[in-house]
Amino acid sequence: MIPALGRFIILASVLVATTGAFIAYAAGAKRSPEGLRWSQRFAYLFAALMIAATAVMEYALITHDFSVQYVEHVGSTEVPMWVTIVSLWSSLEGSILFWGFILGIYIAATTWVNRNDHQEYMPFAIGTWLSVGAFFSFLIAGPANPFLTVANPPLDGPGPNPLLQNHLLMIIHPPMLYLGYVGMTIPFGFAVAALLRGRLGQSFLRPLRASLLLPWVFLTIAIMLGGWWAYEVLGWGGYWAWDPVENASLLPWLTATAALHSAIVMERRGVLKGWTVTLVQASFLLTILGTFMTRSGVFNSVHSFTQSSIGPTILVFLAAVLLFSVALLAFRIDSLEAEGRLDSAVSREGMFLVNNLFFVVLTFTVLIGTCFPLVVEAIKGKQMSVGRPYFDAMVVPIGTALLFLLGVGPALPWGKASKKESQRALLPPLITGAIVLAIGYALGVRNGWTLLTLLFGGYAAHVTLAQMWLPLRQRLKKGDSFGPALVDTQLRRGRRRFGGYIVHAGAVIVFVAIAVSSTMRTQQEVTLNRGQSTTFAGYTVTFIGTEQRAEPHRQSTIARLTITKGGGGGTPSGGGGTPGSGGGTFVTTMEPRMNQYAAMREPIGTPAVYSTLAGDYYISIMNLQGDQAGVLIINMPMVGWIWFSVLMMGAGGLIALIPARRRTYVVVPESTAQIDSEVVA
Amino acid sequence: MNRNVLIIGIVIVAAIVFVLFAGLGKDPQHIDSPLIGRPAPPFTLRAVGTGQTVDLESLRGKPVIVNFWATWCGPCFEEHPTLVANARNLPNVQFVGIVFNDTDDKIMRFLAERGSAYPTLLDANGKTAIAYGVGGVPETFFINPAGKIVAKFEGPLSTELLQENLEKALR
Repeated sequence: MIPALGRFIILASVLVATTGAFIAYAAGAKRSPEGLRWSQRFAYLFAALMIAATAVMEYALITHDFSVQYVEHVGSTEVPMWVTIVSLWSSLEGSILFWGFILGIYIAATTWVNRNDHQEYMPFAIGTWLSVGAFFSFLIAGPANPFLTVANPPLDGPGPNPLLQNHLLMIIHPPMLYLGYVGMTIPFGFAVAALLRGRLGQSFLRPLRASLLLPWVFLTIAIMLGGWWAYEVLGWGGYWAWDPVENASLLPWLTATAALHSAIVMERRGVLKGWTVTLVQASFLLTILGTFMTRSGVFNSVHSFTQSSIGPTILVFLAAVLLFSVALLAFRIDSLEAEGRLDSAVSREGMFLVNNLFFVVLTFTVLIGTCFPLVVEAIKGKQMSVGRPYFDAMVVPIGTALLFLLGVGPALPWGKASKKESQRALLPPLITGAIVLAIGYALGVRNGWTLLTLLFGGYAAHVTLAQMWLPLRQRLKKGDSFGPALVDTQLRRGRRRFGGYIVHAGAVIVFVAIAVSSTMRTQQEVTLNRGQSTTFAGYTVTFIGTEQRAEPHRQSTIARLTITKGGGGGTPSGGGGTPGSGGGTFVTTMEPRMNQYAAMREPIGTPAVYSTLAGDYYISIMNLQGDQAGVLIINMPMVGWIWFSVLMMGAGGLIALIPARRRTYVVVPESTAQIDSEVVA
Repeated sequence: MNRNVLIIGIVIVAAIVFVLFAGLGKDPQHIDSPLIGRPAPPFTLRAVGTGQTVDLESLRGKPVIVNFWATWCGPCFEEHPTLVANARNLPNVQFVGIVFNDTDDKIMRFLAERGSAYPTLLDANGKTAIAYGVGGVPETFFINPAGKIVAKFEGPLSTELLQENLEKALR
């Protein structure tokens, strides 16, 4: 009953998406308002069907209907309710259905928001979105059908992958990532529409930019959550491993970030139209590439879905969209004529160009590093892997250069700047940079790249704060009082600008925190008997003992360790001490654990993390044998700043997204006009 | 039409699609053993049942087939008759079974039920399996008379696959 209902809805959605796409393209070609209205209806209908199919699947999961094949694969009466609900995206077929669900919502929402606007472009955009929708509902209907019927349903199932049950972050990381990935379909549709129409007018920039910024925000947060999850769950003390699938999430983020910047130049100067559209298309294509990487079984990764047979289907789709995009660009890019031109290289727009160059180089660097093992195996038949050394060697210099631009770019004025103007803009922030550098050096930083990051970070922080202060200062000069001027300049009128600089401020902290946490980390592996202590990085760790805890879905062994500060301790001292025998002041108790899931042979460790503003003290169990615990202790300065400042970047993006209340343009005096309309993403 | 965009685009598209297509159907978990062509890591282990110790060194001069397995592994059930039959047919080849992560009585029961034709050694602490880089069971190593590993096979062996790999050891 349920499987049949699910299959029926999905088949209907294939039909609706395909028909809707044809109607929409025809409406675009004929410029028919009636056709546009019909394509809007089809867009809403497609969304409704996707939502219905997902609701049916959730119902089957919650009621443990093991006659549905997907429920048979991932369901279990043993696991908690939240695990049952999120197991919708814990395995291949369900995750594709979830993809369709989000795509449906995106398409319907964007269609509704623009229901009376941009009539020129909307039919082509809706047609493109529904084409993508048709592909995904085809995937759900055929190669990745979660609604197949199980002839003899079992009484219970294995439950989802234990790694996914291991941490609450698993509830939010995948949906965030899908919101980012799937959302890139929307700007892609707009870009295709602009190319097909052969026009990219000023008014169409707003939906294009907003539709790019929203998934960018989700993707930014998703990448951070993935790193945080790896850090909190996998127990090796890192947050980024250049795993192919991590790279897959970074690639569209890089091109989307570049596109958000080039869109600003396009808006201000009327140039870079074709280039921006190319970057938008690349962002979408890279999300499809990422989907292929995760689901084809070609790349080995912690994220790989096993036993996947949809790789070839996605590859065909990817190849088709790639060819379509290249052909469309080749035939139409020249129709997006530049309306202005760039005056000078040493200017803000000049820096935007360099920024774009670096982002694209970074994208190719990561893409090549990710795919190189495949190339070597295809050509030479030899296995190899590209790891940390390559990525560090390539990415660190480019990243540092981007941080440099993050400071220099916004400091420079638009248009042509005289030598004197440039000097006045560029020199003062050097003082802040030097101060931050000196503080870092005094605190023990000796790594050259990290010192350079501190210098550029201080510089960029100065410029960012100065840029935020600038419009406020002008208002204060005019005699406005501080409070209203602050709200008006930052939150009311200069929201895009303000949001953009919040993103920049977050990015500066991310750069510094990554550099410091990765070059200043220290670690020690030690075996402790019950009652024994060791001192590492200023804390004394005492192993108190272990405890067993049984939950329905897992069996946990928890090691209890107390952390004290000050007092003696030294290297692993003889056993027999009492808790906190070091004599220092008690700081906290840490409980790293090993979780044994019924369906898994190997136990999965969960580290314990004690976070302070200065950094994290991280303990992971290596092995537990009777009264002995082998633990890995890592001291990582500043690592918590990464999570916080990425959230800040996301918040900045959201601030910039809130639409301006007034859409009419008013004439304002020259000096403030420049600042108010200035856009920073 | 912008010819540059078309050419650059097609080149990038072709490269990406070719590379991804070439990767399809491969098992990314499969790793070529770095031990091939190298001397087999030595081991001295106790045989289950007889209690005698067997030293790899003492088996020099004959091709040796070392099969890592365990009683809890399904594919090992599947390939066991093949190994026993071939061991009986090939008196000039020394077969050795190494069991890890297992207990004597389970192994004894397994061999009593399914037959045995060559020594089965217990790798109690798993050190030998680690030295051979065993990633899962069953895994079989083919060692030539000079003591060099010439081939490695992951998964259950058939007689054809066994012969094919053994020929490398006889060359």
